[in-house]
Amino acid sequence: MEDLETKGLFIDDLQKLRVLDPELMEQTESLKDECGGFVAQIGHFQKMTDGFIAISDEVSKEVEKEKLASLGARNQLKSITKAREQEQQQLHSLVMEKKLELERLRIQYESLIKVQAEQEEFIDQLILQQ
Amino acid sequence: MRFKTSNLKEAKHSELVSCVSWMSPDDVISIADDHKILKWNLVSAETQPFAELPQDFHPTDVHWLPKGQASGAGSRAKGGPSGSDVFLVTSAEGKLQLINKNGRMEKSVEAHRGACLVGRWSHDGAGIVTGGEDGAVKVWSRSGMLRSTLASNTMPVYALAWSPDSSHVLYATDKLLTIKPLAPNSKPIQWKAHEGLILCLDWSPSNYRIISGGEDCRYKVWDQFGRQLFNSSQHDYPITSVSWSVDGQLFAVGSFNTLRLCDKIGWSHSLDKPATGSLYKIAWSADGTQVAAACGNGHVIFAHVIEKRIEWKEFEATVTGRKTISLRNVTNDAWEKLEFRDRIIQISMDFGFLIVVTTSQCYIYTTRNWNTPTIFDLKEGSVSLIIPAEKHFLLVESNAVHLYSYEARLICSPKWPGMRPETLNAHTVSLCNDTIAVRDQSDEKNVHLFDATNGKALNDGRPFTHRQEIAEIALDQVGLANQRKLAIVDKNRDLFVANVRKFGKVSSTQGNSAKIGAMVQSLKWNANSNMLAAIQDSRFCTYLYPAVIFVDRNLLHRTIIERDSGEFGKNPTIVLFSGNSISVRRADGSLVTTAVSPYPGMLFEYTQSNRWSEATKLCRFVKDETLWACLAGISTQARHLETAEVSYSAIQEADKVHYIQYIKELPTKEAQNAEMAVLTGNYQDAENILLQAGLTFRAILLNIYLHQWERALDLAIKHKTHVDTVLAYRVKHLNRCDKDETISRYIQYMKEVDIDWERIGAKIEEEYHKEREMGGRAGRRGSSVP
Repeated sequence: MEDLETKGLFIDDLQKLRVLDPELMEQTESLKDECGGFVAQIGHFQKMTDGFIAISDEVSKEVEKEKLASLGARNQLKSITKAREQEQQQLHSLVMEKKLELERLRIQYESLIKVQAEQEEFIDQLILQQ
Repeated sequence: MRFKTSNLKEAKHSELVSCVSWMSPDDVISIADDHKILKWNLVSAETQPFAELPQDFHPTDVHWLPKGQASGAGSRAKGGPSGSDVFLVTSAEGKLQLINKNGRMEKSVEAHRGACLVGRWSHDGAGIVTGGEDGAVKVWSRSGMLRSTLASNTMPVYALAWSPDSSHVLYATDKLLTIKPLAPNSKPIQWKAHEGLILCLDWSPSNYRIISGGEDCRYKVWDQFGRQLFNSSQHDYPITSVSWSVDGQLFAVGSFNTLRLCDKIGWSHSLDKPATGSLYKIAWSADGTQVAAACGNGHVIFAHVIEKRIEWKEFEATVTGRKTISLRNVTNDAWEKLEFRDRIIQISMDFGFLIVVTTSQCYIYTTRNWNTPTIFDLKEGSVSLIIPAEKHFLLVESNAVHLYSYEARLICSPKWPGMRPETLNAHTVSLCNDTIAVRDQSDEKNVHLFDATNGKALNDGRPFTHRQEIAEIALDQVGLANQRKLAIVDKNRDLFVANVRKFGKVSSTQGNSAKIGAMVQSLKWNANSNMLAAIQDSRFCTYLYPAVIFVDRNLLHRTIIERDSGEFGKNPTIVLFSGNSISVRRADGSLVTTAVSPYPGMLFEYTQSNRWSEATKLCRFVKDETLWACLAGISTQARHLETAEVSYSAIQEADKVHYIQYIKELPTKEAQNAEMAVLTGNYQDAENILLQAGLTFRAILLNIYLHQWERALDLAIKHKTHVDTVLAYRVKHLNRCDKDETISRYIQYMKEVDIDWERIGAKIEEEYHKEREMGGRAGRRGSSVP
């Protein structure tokens, strides 16, 4: 047995002649299997990271877009307040205009009321005198 | 009233539009900093490139040669809607250019150092005035030759305008306005007008008012002497443009994103806020219904005036659109809608007729029937004014004035030398049933009077001449044609009444016009009777019978009803005086209605129809001294003795009553008439009446009583009677005054005729006897004589 071993031959448990030490062989085999497993796992990991990178890219794009949009919105908001102010100013002047017109009509109305009262008084007077 | 604005979504100019001008009633040109001239047609809504300017040309102002003035009579005859054929453009490079209607440059001159900021044709088209950054105001001939440098200033001239008669130029430097006469060595008027730089101004040729606007964000209205009539409230931005409408009733004001329509008094009809940037220039169309405005963002906006509203009795007409009018009867709330083929230019409603003038036709509706108007075609199609009267109405077109009946028949077209109808307004032309009065446009002291039935000039074609320039005229509306009165307000704001028709020779003492008021701001005749309402200083006066000045001068102040005009504020105008209601427009634009007593109107009606007893009864009922004074005046004018006697006694004028009683005793009607004429101070009339009736003795006696000795002697000699009577009275007079004879003819006759008082007394008695006999015969002949 020993001689065989020195000559590089081995006999396994099933009494079969082997070139390699069955123990080593067994270890190599398991290493091979494990390596295969490892490669597969790495491959899987790569796929997963690729997916992750793609998604994060997308998200970043999305974020960028949103960021711009929000920036725009913020600016718009600012300008809207300005526009509102302007609009308010315009409406204010239009309201002032209407107020003046109302005042004019009020004066006209009051004068007509006065005339009406005068006329009624006049009619009463005539009736009284008859 | 308000503006309806329209503008395109896309600006046609790529740069700021600096100026616009109307080339015809439907075409506008606009020039912008993109060196393009565009032509806008409002009918087809098309915009075409008109011409291209050089790249180094930045326009500042454009102005078409006023229409109808292009080359005197030739173009006037052509007239028409084609417009005139040349316009001026000024540039920021100091150039003045004349461009013809085909877009070809006819003339280009270096006008100013620095920018030439403004250029204007005179109203008669004879000259151009330009103002520049160098502070110079230069006058050019119509072909572009330099005539003179009118003024040199240290500040740039941003705006200028010609005076209505083209003899003065108004220009703005810094905060000052200056009116400079063209005539050399005459003094300019200058005043501080604004708190900031003045950017724009305009001077109306029809109402003589000036408007200005500036960086103090206000616009102001001035009269031609520089008195402020209106000061606007402060705006948010500087006023960049102002412009009068042609008829002077409205003006437009432009500012940043702002277009305002204002009444001539200054108050604002409406406000628009178009998103256009600053309005650099506003131009009115010749018919006064539309404006075009040059905007800072490359737009040109157009606006037309809508919602003009007029009232007559229970009817109310509103222009709702370019071509539609809606009518409302207030009493039964019935609505009518009138549609027209063309654009509406003018409307008027009075005396039961609605007159609508479009660009080509005139429609006459009666208020009883809105379905079938009378329609006729206009001669020119550019009516600037409608003046209605009870029987007919006057259309003022750009080159003529036509009087039409309500059946659309052309009655006449009065003409006068130097007429410029486009500048006539309601203050300078007046109409009543039998007369047309027009103030002369070259000599403002004259008034042309025409017979309304045939268009012939009255009083042998001689115009009425006043001592001062006349600002306003108005004819009374009712009564007989031969008693027609013209109210005149002159430039000192004194109020006069004048007889329109002259009869015979007017004696110098009497005169043809008489002053009845001062400081008159506004006046209006009553539509139904000859009352006159006037606002004087701070009082509101109603002249119940202004003609009384020609009857009995002393009665004038007793026939005026005065009251405080505080309720009308400052500078009010009377817009309507009909029946016993008066409408007054306050300076802030509100319409105040007030009533006068209805009795004077009733009294006038009675006396018009010769119902004297009713008139007297009315006065007794009212127990008002003013009314009695009126009746005294009216009855004396009408020579109705009974009423005159009663009313004079009611106002305690004992001397008048005595005189009337004496007149009543007179045997002949003619003598009575003559004495009534004497009572009213018409001595000339009285003499005429007497001579015509053959009462020579009375005529002579009248002159003796008037101490018109020479005339008395003339008459006596002419009729070969009573020479000795005249001489006798003369001697008596001289003795009483303790004087010697100075009149040579008397000295001569005194030698030839000897005076015998007994014989004279007998002769006079004989005359009276003769008269009594005549009167007796007349009394038997006509039983109507009381």
